[in-house]
Amino acid sequence: MDALLEFATGPLFRLTFAIMILGLARILILDLYGMWEAYRKAGDKTIPWGLTISRTLEWIFPVKRVINHRPIYSIVAILFHIGLLITPTFLFAHVELWRSGLGFGWWTISPMLAEILTIATIALGLLLFLGRVGSRNARALSRKQDYLWPLVLIVPFITGFVCANLTVSPNLYQLSMLVHVFSAELIFVLVPFTKIAHCVLMPLSQLVSTIAWKFPAHVDEDVATTLNKKGAPV
Amino acid sequence: MNRVHVVKSILWGLVGLSLAVAISRFAFGLGATTNLTDTTPWGLWIGFDVMAGVALAAGGFVITALFYMMRRKEFHPMVRPAVLTAFLGYVAVVCSLMVDLGLPWNIWHMIVFWNPHSPLFEVGWCVMLYTSVLLLEFSPVPLESTSRYAKIREFLMKFRFPLVLLGIMLSTLHQSSLGSLFLIMPFKLYPLWYTDILPILFFISAVGLGLMMVSFESLVSSWIYGRKPESHLIAKLGKAAVWVLSIFLVVRFVDLAIAGKLGLIFSGTWESLLFIAEIMIMAVIPIILFAIPKTRHSLAGQWIGSFLVVFGAIFNRINVGGLTMLSTTGDSYFPSWMELSISFGIVSFMVLVFLFAIEKFHIWDDRPREAESDPHARPQFSRGGEVWLGAPAVAGRTKYSFAFVIALAIGFMLMPGTKLHSSGVENVPTRAARGGDTLFVDGNRDGYGVAFKHQFHVDTLGHEQSCVRCHHMNLPQDKNSGCFTCHSQMYAAVDAFKHDWHNSPNGANITCSECHMDGENRTAASAKHCDACHTDLIPAGATITIEQYMAPAYTDAMHDLCIGCHREIVAQQPEKQAIALCAACHATAGPEYLRADVRERLKRPEYNHVVLPGVSLEQPE
Repeated sequence: MDALLEFATGPLFRLTFAIMILGLARILILDLYGMWEAYRKAGDKTIPWGLTISRTLEWIFPVKRVINHRPIYSIVAILFHIGLLITPTFLFAHVELWRSGLGFGWWTISPMLAEILTIATIALGLLLFLGRVGSRNARALSRKQDYLWPLVLIVPFITGFVCANLTVSPNLYQLSMLVHVFSAELIFVLVPFTKIAHCVLMPLSQLVSTIAWKFPAHVDEDVATTLNKKGAPV
Repeated sequence: MNRVHVVKSILWGLVGLSLAVAISRFAFGLGATTNLTDTTPWGLWIGFDVMAGVALAAGGFVITALFYMMRRKEFHPMVRPAVLTAFLGYVAVVCSLMVDLGLPWNIWHMIVFWNPHSPLFEVGWCVMLYTSVLLLEFSPVPLESTSRYAKIREFLMKFRFPLVLLGIMLSTLHQSSLGSLFLIMPFKLYPLWYTDILPILFFISAVGLGLMMVSFESLVSSWIYGRKPESHLIAKLGKAAVWVLSIFLVVRFVDLAIAGKLGLIFSGTWESLLFIAEIMIMAVIPIILFAIPKTRHSLAGQWIGSFLVVFGAIFNRINVGGLTMLSTTGDSYFPSWMELSISFGIVSFMVLVFLFAIEKFHIWDDRPREAESDPHARPQFSRGGEVWLGAPAVAGRTKYSFAFVIALAIGFMLMPGTKLHSSGVENVPTRAARGGDTLFVDGNRDGYGVAFKHQFHVDTLGHEQSCVRCHHMNLPQDKNSGCFTCHSQMYAAVDAFKHDWHNSPNGANITCSECHMDGENRTAASAKHCDACHTDLIPAGATITIEQYMAPAYTDAMHDLCIGCHREIVAQQPEKQAIALCAACHATAGPEYLRADVRERLKRPEYNHVVLPGVSLEQPE
């Protein structure tokens, strides 16, 4: 198990983390490039920047929506996001690993806060899963990955909690550490290729709709020509 | 996926892999990425990338000479691809050189600090000038796609003929000067390759190779885009190659005969086999293939013949560039995967640029277009995913970027992890000092040891009480553990505590909470001290105190320990000045129990790292 753990925390970590970072950069660049192409072709080049930015911000900080639409679900989802991002990024043990690998680290949260956030994230993840299973409307809209994601995401939190807080035998420690590392690496690999890619695409989504829903110049004439009605008013 | 997409995806993958390697090469240096040594400082990057790269670019000057000077107008369709290949070949050479040079940022020195006696000076200038000439020669092609640069284009077109002439002249100089480079190595290069006429041989073979490289490139690009190959032109080039390669063979063998080296061909050595293989692949078989009209005009004959010449010429440049020097130097060298990856990556990138140029500019008479890019074409679903990836341009960039990103990530995975944060110190484990009353302290067992009179020190420093003067830490349940137990690295500080071993079921098998308190961040500082459990680690009265878990390197530990004490003694008793000198320990012969010849060997100054001028080799009493 020592050797497996060494492989998982060494080469496999480098592979999966690089896939996540590069994969996200890839879709971001492809997205921006596609937007630029659409903009170049668009007949109407005006972009309502103010509206687009305010809508984007509304989605990033959904204060208004929390009050207006499904408040409980929204709050659970927001808290889940906070736990999901803050805990692994600012956990002391993780930052120490970065420090030993890269030579620098950053600010960390206290063990107490980490513990609370971990338990909260696990609970909220389960709530989101149950909410999706329980609601008929949500079921109708859900794909397989929608059910699986909350469950996959809480696996490293559960195993990480076992490693960090419980007194377990070294055997069980290594086993849960192995599951912790492998499940996190599975998440890294899946991030750029599944809906989790919204972590970089979300700020662009409003702008994409604004730009993409513009017809290319002279498209009306092309449509009329294709329909054998050249010269007809569109 | 169609053929273009498959080829380009593979090429993008190779580029991605080589980018990761290039990052590691520039971050951690040549030592961490290549198998090159001081004995073999020129490897694959010189033999293949630079030497063969220049040779493969020979098509540019050969075809332009055929078209502009010999007025063979039928070769017009091949001029633009040939010039582009030559240009990209030279850019590849420059890129490889930047990777291979230890201090690439000093390359401009050559422009300012002239050394006209050096063949490398000429090689360097030829590369710079010819690359610039090729750029000027080719740039009218991309410029013609827009009217914005029409004036620049017209200006360049005025100088087309002088540029072509200059290009041919520089090529002639450069192809041959790469051969001259090896004239200074008569004792290193194997006699079958070393000859005074190396420059001439390099030039003749470059002409033959140039003809065949253009043919091969035409065949490959036609295959990729599913276009009809220019067989009638390739047959003509093949016929010319027969003459050039025959002249090459005659010159090569007459030269060997005059030098009396013909016997070496059949000596049965490794080099003789290399020579036979090289001559067969590069010249004999292609000459036969292209001399017979039927095979010369057949597609298979053209593929095999041109490939053999290209492969054989690369082989020849690698042989001269270092492979046949290995038996003289006695070194063993095979390129590391990282070197291979850089070479493939650079070539792949140039091929991608070539394909890009073919698609975007007027290189061929008919620009290749994908059937699907027609707006009326029906979308093709991918075989695996049942997904339409979009119009060809969108589908292409989706696939290529995927291949690139995954290969780049694999490159990061394959990097040796220790080198990601290495301080550049070689990993040299130490071993126990052997001997009895006199210990031979030689941690890395390289023979340059110090004979340490252990019993003498025990006797003079106070018998039993003297142990703790030096011994300061033991393994649990041990007494007087050897220095090498903790100072287990010759030149690097090491973790003497071994955290993961304590935690592992295969090691001490103890849980985290045995050492780390609940509710605190688990660090070395907040954990229990070793002696909270191991009460026998530190011998009573030890003069050296342990402040951290990192044990200094073996050499540092030994020096600090011995020199510290010896200095103290000299401070108190100035008449014992001699024991503070390096030679007090290092200049001795080995201990008496060593074999006489080994003792004698250790006495020789060149066998001791620290023998300084004027220092006696005899141990002071």
